[in-house]
Amino acid sequence: MMSTKLTCKEVRINMMGLLDNEISEEQKAALLGHIESCPSCQKMYNDFRTLKKDTQEMKFKKLPEIYWDDYWTQVYNRMERGFSWILISIGVMILLVYGGYEVTRDFFLDPQKPLLLKIGVGAFTAGIIVLFVSVLREKLMIRKIDKYRSVER
Amino acid sequence: MKTDNEAITACRAGDKEMYRVLVERYKTRAYYAALMYTHNRDDALDLSQEAFYRAYKALDSFDNSRKFYTWFYRILKNICINFVTRKRTHNQVSADDENRPELVSSGLNPEEILERSEQSELLWQAINQLKEKDREIIILKEFQEMSYREIAEVLNIPQGSVMSRLYNARQRLLKEVEYLNDEY
Ligand SMILES: [Zn+2]
Repeated sequence: MMSTKLTCKEVRINMMGLLDNEISEEQKAALLGHIESCPSCQKMYNDFRTLKKDTQEMKFKKLPEIYWDDYWTQVYNRMERGFSWILISIGVMILLVYGGYEVTRDFFLDPQKPLLLKIGVGAFTAGIIVLFVSVLREKLMIRKIDKYRSVER
Repeated sequence: MKTDNEAITACRAGDKEMYRVLVERYKTRAYYAALMYTHNRDDALDLSQEAFYRAYKALDSFDNSRKFYTWFYRILKNICINFVTRKRTHNQVSADDENRPELVSSGLNPEEILERSEQSELLWQAINQLKEKDREIIILKEFQEMSYREIAEVLNIPQGSVMSRLYNARQRLLKEVEYLNDEY
């Protein structure tokens, strides 16, 4: 494939592989051959090389060691917390359902009230409880993100 | 030292501590990847840790024939994009902000992110002026130091088109740098 004459466009695209060291020796030789004999591709190659060099010289601020030491613990805590959230959610729901039943017990035990109405009220209450727990959970999660947001600027 | 796949197998079997192998191995890359979106240290820490946690929860859906980090990176990227979009809609958007890439936090914060150097700051600015598609591939190659194979996996594109995508992105970056150089 490389034995056929390369167009400038092909050379420029394949030049990326040359810069990033992602092509074979054989391909390299063919590209460099063209670059040496073609001034406009040569200029481009030099520009790209400078750009890559400048990018690699960019120095990002290092994070203080203490953050790195603590990193795993932070992740681990989230893993643990994820499980405890499930337990808490289930727990809160059971307590609310139980409490709700205690309060409305007379209503549910009243044989005068039709069964359909009891099912309706029961489903309605259960829905409200699940919704309440999930909204509460979401609010708590968002507050955590907001904490950072307000510190900024 | 355990390989990624050995650690993942152990995690799936319930050994939480083994997840540490993966976190220690990739935390630096993950942090800097998040920093490219948030431009803010605390957010980058928070989001990268959140990504590790979510990846842990989703570990069962990880395909062993792929690389952990490229799979993880996609989770991280989603979290970052959601965060930045939410933050942008939350804050007032000024007319000037309209020209900036949509998925990047609006402040460039070079002083918080880079060691002082005029050349670096200019380049940082130029990179962040690029369209998201161009910006991302440059970050994956230069700062995340991914191979073409990994880039193809992350971006879900054929390996053959990585070079032309990179070529276009770098060419536009050169133009951006040239433009900024002329301005100063
Ligand atoms: Zn040429």
